[in-house]
Amino acid sequence: MGAMFFGQYLLSKGVIDGQALIDAIELQRKTNLSLTALAVRRGYLSEKQEEAVLLRYRTSDADLEVLCLESGMLDREQLEELLRIQRSDWVRIGSALVSGGHLTREEVVEQLAKFHDFQRDADRELEANFKSCRDPESVKTIVELAAFHLGRLSDRAIKLQSLSEDLGTLADGRRRYAQKLVGDRELFVVLDLPPAMAVAVAEGFIGMALEEGSESAIDAVCECVNIIGGNACTRLEASGLILRPEPPFSTEDHELGVDASSSIRAQVLAGEFEIDVRVFL
Amino acid sequence: MTNWRIMTVDDSAAILTIITAYLEDSEFDVVAAERDGRSAVKRFCEVKPDIVLLDLIMPGQSGVETLSRILAIDPDAFVVIVSSLGTEDAVHECLTTGARSFLQKPFTKDDFIEFMRELTKVA
Repeated sequence: MGAMFFGQYLLSKGVIDGQALIDAIELQRKTNLSLTALAVRRGYLSEKQEEAVLLRYRTSDADLEVLCLESGMLDREQLEELLRIQRSDWVRIGSALVSGGHLTREEVVEQLAKFHDFQRDADRELEANFKSCRDPESVKTIVELAAFHLGRLSDRAIKLQSLSEDLGTLADGRRRYAQKLVGDRELFVVLDLPPAMAVAVAEGFIGMALEEGSESAIDAVCECVNIIGGNACTRLEASGLILRPEPPFSTEDHELGVDASSSIRAQVLAGEFEIDVRVFL
Repeated sequence: MTNWRIMTVDDSAAILTIITAYLEDSEFDVVAAERDGRSAVKRFCEVKPDIVLLDLIMPGQSGVETLSRILAIDPDAFVVIVSSLGTEDAVHECLTTGARSFLQKPFTKDDFIEFMRELTKVA
């Protein structure tokens, strides 16, 4: 069993039922405000300013705190006050389950200890899987970049669950976004995304509402793959590997339509979505 | 002073939209936005922009080919490559072909505007 969030772990172990998890997540959604949402509530930012800073955040690799300060939207005193409020009001999933009467505090403490052991084993297993797969450096670079960009653009917490070799078949209801990298070797960077996750990524990228499955949404996700692929080539150059990306593309076909001897599949949790980041070698 | 006239070339409509949005209400006007190299060369002759922002990885005619064709028409054309690929190899090829600068994707609005303003000092 691969890495997972604490709530998902409790569910998989039968400690809580699905409704308890939904209730707890709902409580978190209502209580846990982002830094910018808190700033709007305190009157430090207008909604328009919040929108602008979030757009910048999704398209950069800077911290939200740094962007708020650098843009002059918040001063240091306001930022520190907001971070203090955020820390004191933040409800973790365990506390939310206690508040909802689904678990006692003692049960949460006991389960957290087990979860940490589980998490440590899962991380070790993942690390071992990365090391033992073909072309570990390229695979790790691509998976890490994909997780980073997808999390930021979709505004969702990312958790790498597992890494395995498989046939590379596209699951029903998903669309495949891919880019071929050529040079010292040939490989494909592939994202298999459900439509709702794809549109969340596309909207985060372009900063406006888009329709699920629309040409604009597909184009925006293809450009995200292009950024992942291009950035991977740049990063891998330091290890002496010279690669160059070809134009990205998207398909609903079950096969990629290319010769690839194996597919390394990284199963990734992105908030409520399960997605696959693949590297075809 | 009149605004700088910009032509953007990228096969991704998303990138064209983002660049146009970033340059809104600035001293830069996007006078043309093209999605492939061939149309870009044709459009370049029509609009004669001050600065061309050109993608590197495009289907059909690549960014480097497009750059060469634009420079063959106007050796003084001010072309900047905007790409997710930032390898030394790629940057070197673009600059030796005649690109004036190179910007790696992704970028924030602030970084982009700052980059554009730096360009105007030498364009």
